[in-house]
Amino acid sequence: MRLAVESCAIAPLSLFALVQNDPLPVGQVDGLDDVPDLPRTHRLALAAARQAMQGRKNPPDAVIVGTTTGGMLESEELLRAGVRDGTKYRYHGLGTVAETVGRKYHCSGPMLTVSTACSSGAVALALALRMLRMGKAERVLVGGVDSLCRLTYFGFHFLQLVDRNGCHPLDKNRQGMAVAEGAAMVLLTNRPPENPLAELVGAGLTCDAYHPAAPHPWGAGAMAAMRAALADAGISPADIDYINLHGTGTRENDLAEARAVRALFPDPPPLSSIKGATGHSLAAAGAIEAVVASLVVRKGLLPPNIGLERIDPALHLRALRKPEQKAARLVLSNSFGFGGNNGALVIGSPRPIPVNSTARHRPGKDLYIHGIAAASGAGMTAATMERLRSGNQVAGCVDADLAAAALGAKTIRRLKRLPRIALGLARSACDDADPAVAPASVFMGTGWGALTETNDFLDRLFATDERFPSPIDFVGSVHNSPAGQVAIMLGATGANITTSGGDYSFEQTLFAAGLMIREDETALVLGVDEYHQHLSPLFDPSVGGDAVPADGGGGFVVSRSRSGGSCRVRLLYYGAGVAGTGPLIVAYGGSVGLQNGIGLVLAGIPAADQRQGEEQLRQFLAQVDFSAPVIRYRQLIGEFASASAVAAVLAATLVDRGNAGTLGAMGQPIDPHRGGVLVLGLGSTITAMEFGRP
Amino acid sequence: MDNLIEELKGKLIDILSLTDVSPADMDADAQLVGGELGIDSIDVLEMVVMVEKDYGVVINSQEVGEKVFSSLRSLAAYIKENRQQDN
Repeated sequence: MRLAVESCAIAPLSLFALVQNDPLPVGQVDGLDDVPDLPRTHRLALAAARQAMQGRKNPPDAVIVGTTTGGMLESEELLRAGVRDGTKYRYHGLGTVAETVGRKYHCSGPMLTVSTACSSGAVALALALRMLRMGKAERVLVGGVDSLCRLTYFGFHFLQLVDRNGCHPLDKNRQGMAVAEGAAMVLLTNRPPENPLAELVGAGLTCDAYHPAAPHPWGAGAMAAMRAALADAGISPADIDYINLHGTGTRENDLAEARAVRALFPDPPPLSSIKGATGHSLAAAGAIEAVVASLVVRKGLLPPNIGLERIDPALHLRALRKPEQKAARLVLSNSFGFGGNNGALVIGSPRPIPVNSTARHRPGKDLYIHGIAAASGAGMTAATMERLRSGNQVAGCVDADLAAAALGAKTIRRLKRLPRIALGLARSACDDADPAVAPASVFMGTGWGALTETNDFLDRLFATDERFPSPIDFVGSVHNSPAGQVAIMLGATGANITTSGGDYSFEQTLFAAGLMIREDETALVLGVDEYHQHLSPLFDPSVGGDAVPADGGGGFVVSRSRSGGSCRVRLLYYGAGVAGTGPLIVAYGGSVGLQNGIGLVLAGIPAADQRQGEEQLRQFLAQVDFSAPVIRYRQLIGEFASASAVAAVLAATLVDRGNAGTLGAMGQPIDPHRGGVLVLGLGSTITAMEFGRP
Repeated sequence: MDNLIEELKGKLIDILSLTDVSPADMDADAQLVGGELGIDSIDVLEMVVMVEKDYGVVINSQEVGEKVFSSLRSLAAYIKENRQQDN
């Protein structure tokens, strides 16, 4: 950390060659280890993890990584070269970053991936904090990472958000950000270690529900996030000694953030943005700045706002121009992103801090389902469930026009395939629920994100020699774009979290929902993927071969309120495949409980993991001595990452109807005395979602 | 000029996916951004790319952009003027 010496690391891009035009200023990491075959994002994450884990012997119980690029830098080059060998893209998926870090440090627990654009790092830390507080882990290795790539370099440039003269946050003449790369990982523990650096005291997550890319002009969501973080920490604005601003250097962000800060802090404490020195490292920024905040409380050194010459009088703020030696006990750190996604963290010195412990929620473990929706090749919820309940296939591609039929033309104007299906599911799940309970928070899992937008952006970028890519496609290509659009449609201003972990993305989002949903809150939980004829066979190793092209998803309106719920759901288990199914059985409470409670198992074995998955299933059935029917749901629903979301809706439907239906074609009647349905995910990861009577 | 306006209508319907709008619905003098069509800041950037790609006219400052995109007629006028300078 060189913030004390007032240096700036922003320099012209040299990481990749440009077809034309001079390179723009970026924040590029030098001297990164070369690891053959491993993408740059993964290597950045490993470099940060190595520092965080230095001298630590025990593996982390969980790994949580915020990232937006995954293997994009390398995939872009392969796509441009027309490489059609799917194995070359095996590290493309965002989830492979957390898995690479987790494998390296022998983690056998959850390895989760958050992708909420530029707030990803902060959101990952917020999830880790909740895991520790709820006793789901004792040690979490968590952070954020992104490498530079053409998608973000050109994407932000064509949104005219990049300053050609470096980055000047809060300056009167600021012209935008400098796209950067980086990584930060921290080891968070539930008990203070011997020599703790700092304490993560609170976190607040909100969504503007206002615009896909621009912040709310008055920073309403930003202020709500800061307020929520302070409340979560049990402190008031006056307790904050320093604010680390998001401060990207764009006209709109800095103005909206300044307004939010002034609305919450009548007399703001010392504050600055470090992005004039580092640039904006997107998903890494929130984690890097959490580390900076930790160093602030540890060293009593407040970093200056590099790049600031003349402060913008419209901001009505005073910013630190020089590093300042000053004790700071509590620091607020802001991170905001596309989709109106806001995260604020409170980081404090690890001395005893008077914390209002009642501010920390300890919700129950179960969620109750109040509305359902599904989309498949067979149609929407009713058609899909009817066919599945009689054991018939629904595998195929969703009719996106049908999915979006209930949405207004203006709502879906700029949306391509994935967001149309996602919004259609959201609308449909809300229509199925009591209209009095509108979801405030949105959780969405997607294995591959908006493939059409990603493909179209890169296609046009390459076809026009990097001159005319579509800004609309860039905004739409971001993994959390659909969830942000859902929030706008529903006016959902609570937490808005998109997870992406390949075939287990929906399970991850249910995991996140279980951590984050408050006692009094209603939420929407979605799992959606689109089939893209060019990209799906390259990225998803289970697609292609004999499998018919398939996509779709499912979703629930959930809350902690049992009353009015049709079904109870919980993510029972999430762990590495190598750990086997033993821990899953322990998590349920033993095999006798499983024998008596579970009437049906829906097993998800991705085609690419067929051998490992079948072996795990065989072991599980032997360990439990299970007699209930087992249905391999991908044979019915299709090979796509969010197939488990459709299976989840089927499970909820069967439980709601007392398992009265039979999956006839499978010839497997369901025992009505054992009401529970277990939806297993097998393969590289083992997951279990449990559905039961409310 | 009128031909250019008609051409632009077709292009905007296409690149901004204004599927529920017909060229006849578009008033050349109506407020283009923030008006009835629901066109916002991202659409403006999409139009900036199109104007450069199809007409070779660069709009690279927000101040110019605000004037140029105030209506279809002002957009057409700006393209006409700056194209002629190039020729």
